[in-house]
Amino acid sequence: MRRRRRIAALLTYAGAAVVVIVMGFPLYGIVLTSIQEEDDIRSRDVRFVPQYVVTEHYERVLSADSGVPVRRSLANSLIVSLGAAAATVSLSLPAAYGLTRFRPPGTRLINGALASVYIFPTLLFVIPIFLVWNRLGLFDTYLGLIIPYTAFMIPFVVFMLSAFVRAIPAEVEEAARLDGANQRQILLRVVLPLLRPGIFACLLLGFILAWIEFLTPLLFTSELTLLTVALGLFRSTIDIQIGQLAAAAVITALPVILVTALFQSQIRQITTAGVEQ
Amino acid sequence: MTGGRARGRALRGNPPGMTLRRRERRRGLWMASPALALVAGVYVVPALATLLFSISRVGVSPLRIRRLAGWGNFVNIITGEGFWSITVRTLYFGALLTAGTMAAAFLIALLLNRPFRGRALVAVIVLLPWAVPPVVSGVLWTQMFHADFGFINGLLRSLGGEGNIIWLGNPQLALLAVLAAEIWRWIPFAALFLLAGLKTIPPALREAAAMDGAGAWGTFRRITFPLMAPVTVPVAIFLFVWSMKVFDTIFILTRGGPSGNTTTLNYLVYQRGFEQFDFGSASAAAYLLTILTVAVIAGLVYMRRRARALAGGGVR
Repeated sequence: MRRRRRIAALLTYAGAAVVVIVMGFPLYGIVLTSIQEEDDIRSRDVRFVPQYVVTEHYERVLSADSGVPVRRSLANSLIVSLGAAAATVSLSLPAAYGLTRFRPPGTRLINGALASVYIFPTLLFVIPIFLVWNRLGLFDTYLGLIIPYTAFMIPFVVFMLSAFVRAIPAEVEEAARLDGANQRQILLRVVLPLLRPGIFACLLLGFILAWIEFLTPLLFTSELTLLTVALGLFRSTIDIQIGQLAAAAVITALPVILVTALFQSQIRQITTAGVEQ
Repeated sequence: MTGGRARGRALRGNPPGMTLRRRERRRGLWMASPALALVAGVYVVPALATLLFSISRVGVSPLRIRRLAGWGNFVNIITGEGFWSITVRTLYFGALLTAGTMAAAFLIALLLNRPFRGRALVAVIVLLPWAVPPVVSGVLWTQMFHADFGFINGLLRSLGGEGNIIWLGNPQLALLAVLAAEIWRWIPFAALFLLAGLKTIPPALREAAAMDGAGAWGTFRRITFPLMAPVTVPVAIFLFVWSMKVFDTIFILTRGGPSGNTTTLNYLVYQRGFEQFDFGSASAAAYLLTILTVAVIAGLVYMRRRARALAGGGVR
């Protein structure tokens, strides 16, 4: 019995090691590439452990005269992602609450329709939007990105927030009502504070999803001044050096990686809520 | 329908309650309306417009519908070069992505469900690829698979192999490279959901099975795996649907090449629409992809029903 347990423990650690290497190595690899000299990156004897660290690729990429305006695109991404996350949550929250608590006629249909939008390929919606944006002058604007991002995220966030709303016992609201609170007070004083973890988790999620979006800015922006980081990185694959490309990739990924690592328990909460639903 | 039934129930109860319920319901709809309006504006209206485009000749400059073309765009796509091989590729790419991701994610979830030192760290590392922007993932895997100075060939060389494989330039291997990059990206999502599912299985059940003399494999096959079906099936369906919409990775790693060997239906839509600016054909292709996706979902749901009927023996 004891030997069996020891073998099980050994297997667990061996498995953990394999998982860490396979899942973690690509990220390690790109960081490694970003701190090596270009000549060594382009050498056929590939090194897996850095012998030295150079920061010149980062300096180049972040300098004001770099070919692709990485600093500018970071700011653009920040504006667009924060805007989209805030818009998504503030529209989804009343929707999730209204649909879950009051169950208006057609709720099931609405929920079904919301879920089914993800079945359709994104390009199906993007083609006409592309044509309309051109006409409305929304091409190459922040708003032209925030609107589709928000719409793309709403169904998912409504679904997630509904799970959080359902987790609030109806008795809590009933008790407040008996104490003489009106609907508005119940919403602001009782429901909102209880939903805070869910709101926060969905804001994080919205920020991440908007930050990594690629297709929409690829099609809806052409000006360098409006580049988002994800797109800027792609534009820079064309003739930049590998070291700088790797540095730009690390810069692009870093904010979302940090957010994910710091708030992983909140993000995990979302999946737990989803599974329970 | 539901409304009618509930109203009937309310009528038999107390009439004042009915008006309150009704007012509440209207409020519910009202609260949801801004979100629904935006979704309708950005999804439903464009989807209908695309439907119209798919049967029209669409002029490029100025961008507008020239005339209706009937089934012309659909015929154009279906009889176009490589349509059937692209469709088959889309399906087996999806099947491989789903199977590969599910298998790896299940193993990882089982691992993370065991107590061991450093588990929290492993969990974070597993979660990270999910937050990696697809573009970064594309850049990173291009680097991994690079024929001359990529890490994978480097590893093969240090293990004593030749390490001269031109991954992204080889028609057979390029799709595998795209697949590897995509599976890596989707493992966190699947593993997270499967882990959450595993946590809902009471340990007592597994302990009881162990008491009855079931080995680890027996417990997994008889207890864990069947009980996980409510999580596994939706996640698998989600992955399959997602795999059919893969764009970023293909765009960055291979651009659909070499010689069209990594072109899936979704990528064909992009090529028709935004490389050739033939929005009519692109819309038709987008609808063909939608039909294929719905067919796949229907097939998976049907298989699940059959499996449940066979296994449950009419219990449910």
